[in-house]
Amino acid sequence: MSVVLEINDLSAGYGPLRVLHEINLSVQRGERLAIVGLNGHGKTTLFRAITHLVGWQRGSIRFDGTEIGGARSLGEGRRTPGIVRLGVAMTPQGDAIFPGLTVRQHLDCGAWSRRAWKERAKRREAIFDLFPPLRKLENTVVGTLSGGERRMVSVGRALMTEARLYLIDEPSLGLAPIISQRVVAALREIDVMDGAMIIAEQNVSLLDGQVDRMIGMHAGRLRGDVGHVELG
Amino acid sequence: MDASLIVYALNLSAIYALLAIGISLLWSSIGMMNMAHGASFAVAGYGALVAGDLLLPGINAAMQGSALLPLVTFVVLLAAGVGSGALFGVLIYLLAFLPIHDKANFAVRGLIVTLAINLATVQALLWWFGPRQQALPNIFGFGRLNLLGVPVRYDQAATILATAVLLSVVLSWLRLSRKGLEIRAMMQNAEGAALSGISVRRTALPVMAVTGAMAGAAAVLLSQTVYVSPGAGAMPLIKGMIIALLGGLGSVPGAAVAALLIGALEAATGVIPFLGQRMVLLVQFGFIILVLIIRPRGIGGLLDETRK
Repeated sequence: MSVVLEINDLSAGYGPLRVLHEINLSVQRGERLAIVGLNGHGKTTLFRAITHLVGWQRGSIRFDGTEIGGARSLGEGRRTPGIVRLGVAMTPQGDAIFPGLTVRQHLDCGAWSRRAWKERAKRREAIFDLFPPLRKLENTVVGTLSGGERRMVSVGRALMTEARLYLIDEPSLGLAPIISQRVVAALREIDVMDGAMIIAEQNVSLLDGQVDRMIGMHAGRLRGDVGHVELG
Repeated sequence: MDASLIVYALNLSAIYALLAIGISLLWSSIGMMNMAHGASFAVAGYGALVAGDLLLPGINAAMQGSALLPLVTFVVLLAAGVGSGALFGVLIYLLAFLPIHDKANFAVRGLIVTLAINLATVQALLWWFGPRQQALPNIFGFGRLNLLGVPVRYDQAATILATAVLLSVVLSWLRLSRKGLEIRAMMQNAEGAALSGISVRRTALPVMAVTGAMAGAAAVLLSQTVYVSPGAGAMPLIKGMIIALLGGLGSVPGAAVAALLIGALEAATGVIPFLGQRMVLLVQFGFIILVLIIRPRGIGGLLDETRK
């Protein structure tokens, strides 16, 4: 079985608003995929549909052979913890984080599995190796950090427990170019092993050479497999 | 103003803090305004009463004349109140949280369902125990402790001490345990918590049980001065709720400060000659309205860990 994620005819939206239109997508094991497109064209909604955070959805989402999609019109977030526990790690857009917790507590929140919780100290060290600026901020409250540092905490939280599908939403949103490059380089460092990673991003040049495949997204539909791109 | 007034104020504040912090915690962690908190209070009072009727004769006989008897009695009653409060919290969880927590407008639905539970419980207590007010056994007698020249009634001392212990246990559980970390994560960002694999359903159960237990503790502590009756929960519910509001809903330190303020205000109003005990509610509510006009988010509303 070499397909991690298989999406068939996925439509999703919020109330009367339909954002995604019959999306079909399959992601191979070990793949790093980028979904690029402008604001408001459904990249985030796609991620939120995979984790059951949109208002309604229909269509099939198979993750490692388990059906996690289906038709529903209510109860957003009800199945989200269960899907996360199947091995989907998502870093939400922007700074959707716990502002009152320290960096250390924040990272611990990500260690949901029994094993990850037991060796959380070791795993925190691994995150600090990936994002060295966080090491000296360990006991600082996250709400007082800069945008780049918060993004690192947010990505680090998703890495605390090993997942088979990483959904990284807009890693460069609102960050200075040099910081977003550092975040993307760290994403490149992550070992996806037998899983896969999907990055949603507007800044195509930032992902140049960092991903295996790029797909455009426009008006709620996936448009063309760009494949590996080299931008001048 | 003399020192025993301060003790009286602290005594009131302790009970208010137990109630208001429970209401505040529930609102900020699972977004439910628990109107059945007053029912938890009344049920815990009756739980302590029943446990007292069943167990105390045996204990009295076994420990005849022992100096530890009041302490054992107190612990038994408190444990019974805390236990029945916690059980009632679990019942509210099963009836009012589990079925509707992911439906649209949960805040309003929860308010209505818990209000219904409150009314039904009061009626059930009336039907089972009758409308007569009943007194819990007087545990400490009417003796006074001389603390640095200030006369303190035993039950006041026990209330203040027990509240301090209970609150520090609950707060350090929130600060230090893994469950506490999950609850605080949920208070700050419910969606982020879901994405961290933290299930609202699993986290809400201990929160409901702990807040119910806090209401139960308040019921037993207050029962030394006020009788147990089916409708006994109404006034504590209203006061707990407005104090939680004054503290800025969702802020635990805010609720604690508000409880201290309101307790002091109540004690002070009682002794001012032209106001007196009958004006206590008027002054209290006037004060709270005034504060909320000046500062709509309450005392602790600007602190970090609150639901926006």
